[in-house]
Amino acid sequence: MDLTPHIQSILDEYRRDLPLFREAEARVKGVINDFLAENGLVVASLESRIKTEGSLTGKLELKGSKYNSLADITDILGLRVITFYLDDVDKVASVLERLFEVDWENTVDKRKLHEIDRFGYMSLHYICYLKDTPYRFEVQVRTILQHAWANMNHDTGYKSGIEVPKEYLRNLNRLAGMLELVDEQFSIIRTDLTDYRRRVQSLVASGNLDEVPLDGDTFRSFLKIDPFGPLNRRIAAVNQAEIHEDTLMPFLAVFKGLGCNTLGDIGKIIKESSEAAYQLACYQIGITDLDIISSSLGPQNLCIAHILKQGGGPLGIRILLDTLNGASESNSALAEVLLEQASNLPFMNQ
Amino acid sequence: METKIYKEGDVTTVKFIGRLDTPAAQEVTKEIESVMDAASGTVIMDCSEMTYISSSGLRIFLSLRKAAATKGGEIIVKSISNDIRQVFMMTGFLNLFQIQD
Repeated sequence: MDLTPHIQSILDEYRRDLPLFREAEARVKGVINDFLAENGLVVASLESRIKTEGSLTGKLELKGSKYNSLADITDILGLRVITFYLDDVDKVASVLERLFEVDWENTVDKRKLHEIDRFGYMSLHYICYLKDTPYRFEVQVRTILQHAWANMNHDTGYKSGIEVPKEYLRNLNRLAGMLELVDEQFSIIRTDLTDYRRRVQSLVASGNLDEVPLDGDTFRSFLKIDPFGPLNRRIAAVNQAEIHEDTLMPFLAVFKGLGCNTLGDIGKIIKESSEAAYQLACYQIGITDLDIISSSLGPQNLCIAHILKQGGGPLGIRILLDTLNGASESNSALAEVLLEQASNLPFMNQ
Repeated sequence: METKIYKEGDVTTVKFIGRLDTPAAQEVTKEIESVMDAASGTVIMDCSEMTYISSSGLRIFLSLRKAAATKGGEIIVKSISNDIRQVFMMTGFLNLFQIQD
């Protein structure tokens, strides 16, 4: 089909300003990415595309008379921010409002267009002005589940105008309703988890450790108050050693293995076995000139001392070493050496 | 102390022969500069013929571990003797490395 002079003139504008759109694509994407990173807002993805000449021609052939010039077409540059959580759609929206000048007349919150008995494509479409140009660009914001639904829905041909039998349509709508509920539940779970973490942090800070169950979150909060710091510093002082700080999260499995159910249980081990752990360290490094230790030395010796005091013997130490460093036959020999060293110490002879 | 460095594909092996004490550590630090740059892959620290390690030697291991963590690589400490394993144990370094027999 021959293109009309009107369409040709819009396509000429497109070809002329394509480099401008390409530059804008990288710039806008960079600005959004930087802002999200600086503010700790994690999204599933940020996609962008520039409409191809073929796609633009198709659009103009269908409804070219709607547009006077290229500047009337708002989706030459399109971006899509896909969030993990429903709440984050609004957060990203506020980011866009902060970063760009929004064309409110053409910006649509499709989520608000729904009738109470309708489900389906829900997305936020922002039209923003492209600074120092006559052009605008579009940003869609949706959750990962809304994105999945939109893609699957598109795949059925529903939006292409082909009539879809009623039962398929009903099933698609049921699915949309379910995904909406799932999206909401994910947000609720996240909010509840945040509340739980705050409660745990305040319990840890107030010292009510017996009330705090031991899990990954609570142990992480516990480590923030540096519970093994005093022991490590005491051990380091023996040789004026430097302490290399490292993650102590692997000790969660160890303390669980030792039967700790609350942070209070770990607190008890620290109280009852720190002296023994210190004695063991003194015996080992006191006669050396080693002047560097890892922050894992304190909890490691604490667990060894606790196991030996409980009568866990070399097998108990072997299990500890296997948990921390991976199973190895050499851990058995090491456990025997540790038992022999400890047998000379006061805590084993009291 | 002698250091031998082999590279095979994405795996770099550093073999330490002898005592990794403080004077040797200075020399080794220079020799393994290229290994630091290649820490995006797997680096095997072959200790089968290492007879002693000092704090300076431990610091070299730590530097490599840091370089690997930054570059997404991994460090494997291989074939350490029981004596050196005890040094790793008494400093808490045993928990920092993947140790292979």
